[in-house]
Amino acid sequence: MASNNVEPMQLDMPMDDGSSAEGGDIGSTWNDTSYSSNYLVENPTLDLEFYASCYSGMAKIQRLLFIADHCTSLRVDALKMALNYIKENTFNTSLYTQIYCRLTEALKQQGLTPEKVIGQIDSAWIESRSKKGASNLEKLDTDLKNYKSNSIKESVRRGHDDLGDHYLKLGDISNALKCYSRSRDYCTSGKHVVNMCLNVIKVSIYAQNWNHVMSYVSKAEGTPEYSPNSPIGTKLHCAAGLADLANKKYKSAAKHFLAANFDHFTPDYWEILSPNNVAIYGGLCALASFNRSELHRLIITSSSFKLFLELEPQLRDAISKFYDSKYASCLSIASEMKDNLFLDIYLAPHIKILYNMIRNLALVQYFSPYLSADMNKMAAAFNTNVNALENELMQLILDGQIQARIDSHNKIIYAKDVDQRTVTFEKAFNMGKEWQKKTRALILRSAMLENGNIIVRSPPQTRGDDGSNPVTQNNHTASISVVAK
Amino acid sequence: MSTSLDQFASSVRNLSATGNFEKLNELCNKSKDLLSKNYGQLDDILQTFDLQEHSLGILTILVCKAALDGAKDDEALLHLIEDFIAGCSSEQVKSALDNYNSLIHSYTNFLVLKKQAIRGIIHLQKAITKIRLHQSQLTFIHADLCQLCILAKCFKPALKFLDVEINSIAKDAGPSEVKYFLLYYYYGGMIYASLKNWDRSLYFFEVALTTPSMAISMIMVEAYKKYILVSLILDGKFPSLPKYTSSIITRFSKNFSSPYKNLATAYATHDSNEVSNVIQKYSATFNADNNMGLVKQCLVSLHKKNIQKLTKTFLTLSLNDMADRVQLSSAKEAEFYVLKMIEDGEIFASINQKDGMVVFLDNPEKFNSAKVFRKLEDEMKTCIALDENLRKMNHEIAINPKYLHKIRVEPE
Repeated sequence: MASNNVEPMQLDMPMDDGSSAEGGDIGSTWNDTSYSSNYLVENPTLDLEFYASCYSGMAKIQRLLFIADHCTSLRVDALKMALNYIKENTFNTSLYTQIYCRLTEALKQQGLTPEKVIGQIDSAWIESRSKKGASNLEKLDTDLKNYKSNSIKESVRRGHDDLGDHYLKLGDISNALKCYSRSRDYCTSGKHVVNMCLNVIKVSIYAQNWNHVMSYVSKAEGTPEYSPNSPIGTKLHCAAGLADLANKKYKSAAKHFLAANFDHFTPDYWEILSPNNVAIYGGLCALASFNRSELHRLIITSSSFKLFLELEPQLRDAISKFYDSKYASCLSIASEMKDNLFLDIYLAPHIKILYNMIRNLALVQYFSPYLSADMNKMAAAFNTNVNALENELMQLILDGQIQARIDSHNKIIYAKDVDQRTVTFEKAFNMGKEWQKKTRALILRSAMLENGNIIVRSPPQTRGDDGSNPVTQNNHTASISVVAK
Repeated sequence: MSTSLDQFASSVRNLSATGNFEKLNELCNKSKDLLSKNYGQLDDILQTFDLQEHSLGILTILVCKAALDGAKDDEALLHLIEDFIAGCSSEQVKSALDNYNSLIHSYTNFLVLKKQAIRGIIHLQKAITKIRLHQSQLTFIHADLCQLCILAKCFKPALKFLDVEINSIAKDAGPSEVKYFLLYYYYGGMIYASLKNWDRSLYFFEVALTTPSMAISMIMVEAYKKYILVSLILDGKFPSLPKYTSSIITRFSKNFSSPYKNLATAYATHDSNEVSNVIQKYSATFNADNNMGLVKQCLVSLHKKNIQKLTKTFLTLSLNDMADRVQLSSAKEAEFYVLKMIEDGEIFASINQKDGMVVFLDNPEKFNSAKVFRKLEDEMKTCIALDENLRKMNHEIAINPKYLHKIRVEPE
């Protein structure tokens, strides 16, 4: 089951996010050291205490561990918090031991004696907890069996849900997913279906199985209880947004996040996303993928998303600066935020892409009103030098995002007016040629079929004579046609 | 013994006189054994035949003679065949295409072995004109002509035939029609490739690859390799075969094309160092396949493609910068490429040697001259003619009794 879980995800995200791609069994994969995105963040300005308080359950642990992986200065604190949280709230003893080991290592690196700071490993807790966990599991299992033999649908459903909850506390994601999705057969009302979907979505997000997330989002949306403006709707929008983000569909992700309603985020509303996340994910995706009018209409003048953006004033400033065409300050604010964003488990793999998109969009918008622009001034406006700018512009021109050409001698970029008439003529000629070629091939092909004998078969024994001889012959003829330069 | 030979000779004479070629052909095929056994007396009979009147008889005797061991060193036989090609009656040989084709194939083989390819070109041209029903019919000795032209490095004579669009294929009963069909398109592709007519070359290889098939011929394997290379040179991308390609080709093409595929992947990065590395890595394979020349041209074409890309982005660029961007060794080499490309009309630019700058210009063609109009009209006419042709073929199918029978039965 664990391998079942991992495989589709790796298909989903073949990029550079090995660290987040393992899900199945958290306990066994977190100490896997072969992360492909092996970067470290130097100077984050993150308030870890506040950050951690936004989440609970598995999400909190995953996020804290992600930070510990990628930031040396916060590593000890993050691990400590994770350790305490696990001790208080879960039965996940194996993860506890692992984190304890990592913590001791981290402390040793700082030159401290681990025993003094965090004390000995609490083996009494481990023992009692694993016993408790096992006995709970047994109890829930027998309960479920009883319900099943009595065939009370509602109780069976609850039994599955409870068992799923418990597995989650044990850190066993794949079994949790199994239990949650089994309860599907015992749903009697639309409400139950939504509940089941939300559970599966939650677990699938932990496992980062985004295809699963998407399909259950659409299942939930199909129930009669669903309305886009309900708290459930907000949850579903956020989940779909996350999945789109992971699949690099930034525009649709932005639209999903924008559909979230701020008022639904009460303190213990959802353990997976905080309103800050919605603001950042939505804001960045929108900045990278929207055009000016969309940006104005859907973000800057949107009363509902404004509430989210108030939580992240830096991002809000960046967006308004971008809209005011003050690209240099926008980009510098964005790069200030970068460090913190790299510590976000879901956003980190996309930061570089999103930032590139934003920068390219800025370049395109900067140039759009001009016929010619001085590249020295342009470089100054984008905090870069002329040569780097030239390369960036070249890429944009080749991608067809800017219609312009560079005068490298005088360092001026000129807008290029495309003569539609010429283009049409060229297209027409090419099209004609293509059609002629295809038609001729068609005629030839019908001639082949008409002849009836033009079929490559493998003759019983004379294969060698038929097939390979001409080629060996060719081989010495071939050398002639090859004109070496 | 000699009486049966005399009998053969006299029946040939009789049947030729009455014009019953079918029966004559039958007789000839039957007598092959007899003739080969009496090798010594064949020349005597030959002398009693007239080239024009008894073409079929002569053809049979020549086929028998050519099948013997050591025939290739028989200079007299070669002369006999050449005379026969020049003088035979086209009406008669058309009724015995399989014998005729096999005679020509053996003639070609003799010349190849003797390394006298250029000698046969003119005779094969005649041989083809003798038996084809009309200009655009493909015969199975087209391939022989192409082979000789390649060996002789003399492509013009073949072009006369290659440039004609084929719309029907001659039939003979021989078992290896496909082989010669594939060979024709394979050789044709090679000829066009060496003349740098990449477009046509790609088309020829494509035809060879899309031939209906239930097995893969080695010819197709080699054609596929060259197909990839030519496509890289022409379009700079890995080619995708048309939908109607037999599935076996698409399925097995991966097995034998991986070095070429890697080359295409490297090409797609536009990084000439990468391409050079791949060439280095697989040079043994490329050399073994005799494709090194084409592979090297891929590298050149990559440089050209990169320069062409620069023309889209720059108005002016110094030669030094250019050499830097397309990874050429020096400004001088860049200048050489630009100069060559300007001459070939691949880019529009001028070089200012004083300060080492290249000024890129737009395509001066504005499509407003009478010449362009004329060209457009010609192209349209070609298209209309082709369309007409298609209609005709469609019509022919529509009134084909077999087809009618089939669609009439099906509704039930």
